[in-house]
Amino acid sequence: MRSGDFKETYSGLIVLSDSTWVWIWSALLAAALVCAPFVLNAYALSLLTLVLITLIGALGLNILTGLTGLISLGHVGFLVVGAYAYAIAVTKHGLPPLAGFAASGLVAALASVIVGVPSLRLRGLYLAITTLAFSFIINNVILEAAAVTDGARGISVLRPTILGIDFDSDAAFALLCLAVTVLTLFACLNIRRSRIGRALVAIRDNDTAARTMGVNLVTFKLYAFVTSAFITGIAGALLGIYLSFVSVEGFPFLLSIEALAILIVGGLGSVLGVVLGTVFIILLPEVVQTVLHFAGSGVEALFANGVHELKAMLYGVVIILFLRFEPRGLVGIWHDVKRLWVHWPLRF
Amino acid sequence: MSFLIDLTVSGLAIGALYGLIAMGFAVIYKATGLVNFAQGEMTMIVAYLAWTIATTLTGNVFVVVAGAVIGAAVLGLAIERIVMRPMLGEPLFAGVMVTVALAVILRSSITFIWDAYPHALDLGVGRDVLRAGGLSLRGAQVAAIVTLLGLLAGFYVFFRFSKFGIAMRAVAADDRAALLMGVSAARIHALAWAASSVIAGIGGVLFAMVYDLSPAMFALGLKGFPATILGGLDSVLGSGVAGLIIGVTENLAGGYLTPGMKDIAGFLMIIVVLMVRPFGLFGEREIVRV
Amino acid sequence: MLHALKAAALAAIAGLALTQAAAAAEQGFTDSEITVGEINPYTGPPALLGVAHAQGVKLAFAEANAEGGINGRKIKLITEDDGYVPSRTLQAVRKFADVDKVFALMGVSGAAQSTAALPLIEKTGLPTIISVAPMPVQWTPPRKNIFVLGQAYEEGVRQLINYLADKNPGKKWALVTQDDDYGLAVRDGFQAAAKEKKLNVVFTSTYKKGQTDFSSEMLRLKESGAEMFMAGGIISENVAMMKELEKLNVKPVTGIFWPGRIEALLKLIGPASDGLYAVDYVEPLASPAGKAFVDKAKTLLGDEAKGINRYTEVGYAAGRLLVDAIKRCGKDLTRACTIAELEKTKDLATGVMAPISFGPGNRFSSQVVKIMRANHGDLSFVPVD
Repeated sequence: MRSGDFKETYSGLIVLSDSTWVWIWSALLAAALVCAPFVLNAYALSLLTLVLITLIGALGLNILTGLTGLISLGHVGFLVVGAYAYAIAVTKHGLPPLAGFAASGLVAALASVIVGVPSLRLRGLYLAITTLAFSFIINNVILEAAAVTDGARGISVLRPTILGIDFDSDAAFALLCLAVTVLTLFACLNIRRSRIGRALVAIRDNDTAARTMGVNLVTFKLYAFVTSAFITGIAGALLGIYLSFVSVEGFPFLLSIEALAILIVGGLGSVLGVVLGTVFIILLPEVVQTVLHFAGSGVEALFANGVHELKAMLYGVVIILFLRFEPRGLVGIWHDVKRLWVHWPLRF
Repeated sequence: MSFLIDLTVSGLAIGALYGLIAMGFAVIYKATGLVNFAQGEMTMIVAYLAWTIATTLTGNVFVVVAGAVIGAAVLGLAIERIVMRPMLGEPLFAGVMVTVALAVILRSSITFIWDAYPHALDLGVGRDVLRAGGLSLRGAQVAAIVTLLGLLAGFYVFFRFSKFGIAMRAVAADDRAALLMGVSAARIHALAWAASSVIAGIGGVLFAMVYDLSPAMFALGLKGFPATILGGLDSVLGSGVAGLIIGVTENLAGGYLTPGMKDIAGFLMIIVVLMVRPFGLFGEREIVRV
Repeated sequence: MLHALKAAALAAIAGLALTQAAAAAEQGFTDSEITVGEINPYTGPPALLGVAHAQGVKLAFAEANAEGGINGRKIKLITEDDGYVPSRTLQAVRKFADVDKVFALMGVSGAAQSTAALPLIEKTGLPTIISVAPMPVQWTPPRKNIFVLGQAYEEGVRQLINYLADKNPGKKWALVTQDDDYGLAVRDGFQAAAKEKKLNVVFTSTYKKGQTDFSSEMLRLKESGAEMFMAGGIISENVAMMKELEKLNVKPVTGIFWPGRIEALLKLIGPASDGLYAVDYVEPLASPAGKAFVDKAKTLLGDEAKGINRYTEVGYAAGRLLVDAIKRCGKDLTRACTIAELEKTKDLATGVMAPISFGPGNRFSSQVVKIMRANHGDLSFVPVD
């Protein structure tokens, strides 16, 4: 029987989860995910892979936006940098894939230092604007530096072989993404309960108070920004491998916005929210498609050529309805459902 | 020398259009604190509306513009009432994301209602090339510059002397205090959305006269946004002026530097300016260093 | 311990490869119907090509179905929108291969999109016709199941420039291209011709995809004194450049390229479009063959036949190519047979372009291109002799 939230020790307060059941369920979910690639058809598998890659990127953004309360409108810039760093290191210079992954994270982190050092001294929308500018400028840099990046031609990327394991098949690649995702998840959860994580949340909630408590704002904001960029860079490398071809066009500006939508729909600041939000946003077009399909061929025929536009519009409508009726995000619904489950038939 | 003048003048012409869009951003930001990511899409809808009037009803330029202005106002009011009003009291961030979703819907509605082909908004005068002293501009480009200057003067008077203008500034400064003083925030928001839609809509119609309509026109929003930032998000007048500055800068960069620079000149300038004045050229000094 | 883990992982992955190989069986048709999938952008600005292309394929299929189907089977097209985003193209290929289980694949979107999808398409083994954006990387090296219909961008531009250079010797040239792989292809073609004919190129520039204002580029062009101009935009960009030149009162001899060669372009540019040169491998709609095509589309598709452009013709030719190959397979339809028959295609006449041929080891039909000239009077392109 689970009891309330009373804790006697400090370590009890910050433990990852105090419930054995949460551990058991999580382990079951992880086991299911490990088996999934062997059961799913290739299309479902590619959706799973996409969810996992997006989740890594969204977790990266969450450290900045969810934990620290800083908005980035150009996170796709770090995705591009990561993808190109991997492609250049592995395809053009023949380095091992592990070095490629390290490069993708480190180069993105380096870019974040260049963007972050001047912009993080100020608060408000400033970082949002400089990151937005960064995501446009970096595309130009890549196109202009054709000697290093092959410019508009793009670079093709093969599936990697790491430590003698060949990740060429779709299922193997999905498992690689799963492994990176689990690592990132644990990293994020642990950052949240560390000294740094608490400092970041303090900055988000009230930066003046945080400063009075001895939190160096610029340093900690930079920590958050660099970590965020590092993780997003890794996600970029994975996305590049998934696409098998890295070019500026594969990373449209819309991805930055989609990542923010994931955080909001999931519930800002919560790692669980990021997971739920990612699954929701990636699978939403599929759901819309299925609904249209069940509405019968009548609807499809009625709109003939417009059916694809209709799908895009429904996607927007669902997001608006969501924000309107559940501003706490999916994580809010999750908590409501859990409470109902535990306390039923009582209301509290 | 004439090359420089030509570059500057055509920069002013495109800059005036950026300025109009930027003012649309600033009006909404000033009144509601939101960055409206659907600004470019609203602009595009109004332009398509004008095109529909021009091709189905009449080609008379005054009727078309009047129709577009009314349509834009209705569009702004409808969006405010149906989509944005229910978000009052929710976190600002959620409101901004709503405009992002709205942008997706409006963008798709273009090819859903109309089609993906580019169309010419041909109203005669707008397309005619006017030449004077070696310079040449199209009618609509001259109209854009004149409209922008007119609006700048109008807004100056409006914020200074009109009751609504002062109320708007009050809501922007402190909405709770404004509410206590008997200012209806909802009415101010509605007015702001309508005004923003009309201003940007006029910009859209003039843009379409010069550069044609296409479903890619929403990208105009991304061009106007840097101007708003440069001028100061909360400064309607500053945004208009910054539009001109960005237009001229881009053109000069395109004329004298590499093609890649033309595209990012605006953004580079913003970064430099914001280092020195984080609140924009004309914005109110509110950002605090901690 | 680590070794054991590694061995286990290897074994698991090897087992997986087996199950996947076994899954690749015949699919996509019944005794009464064949399903074909097309991937293209159907939303946003590029919908212009996607919607028109799908219409052309549907027309070819409708024609086959009107004759009682292919060996008794009706053929049907389903479409998947990729919005011109490579990751969505990949998703769509997987969806067609595994969920909708189509028999063959058509269209496959723009150059960057199809290039990204090539390895995956090869893996699926679906008979595939790429017809929207032909690029050499799609047929070199040849891939067993991927057939490319059309002509390489580089080659098209090269021939246009060669023609214009021969007609106007000793002139000064200007080139403006888009900053992506399409723009690079145009640039490569231009430079090949410039080298061949030793052209005097006085101004070249690139622009950001989606740019609308070309005043600084055109002012520079005017300053450079160029008399010949290759406008490397697609549609809106070429319109904007031409109108800017009209405004500046500069009238170079201008060439445009086929992705933007739609009749509506001439109306948008206005009188300044008269005498514009273009190159294409499909018949202009105003030619007798083009008119016959439009009539056929109107009878078979009825109301749906709006917005016909060159991509409708391209789609129609691709559809005919597939129908023809399936027909020759007879009752016992297989993918292997369809691929073999596609390869045997020899001088297939479609009426909208030169006869189509493939061959062993040749996965590129290399269509003959024509130079044409715009006539603003009746908004048409007329082949030059």
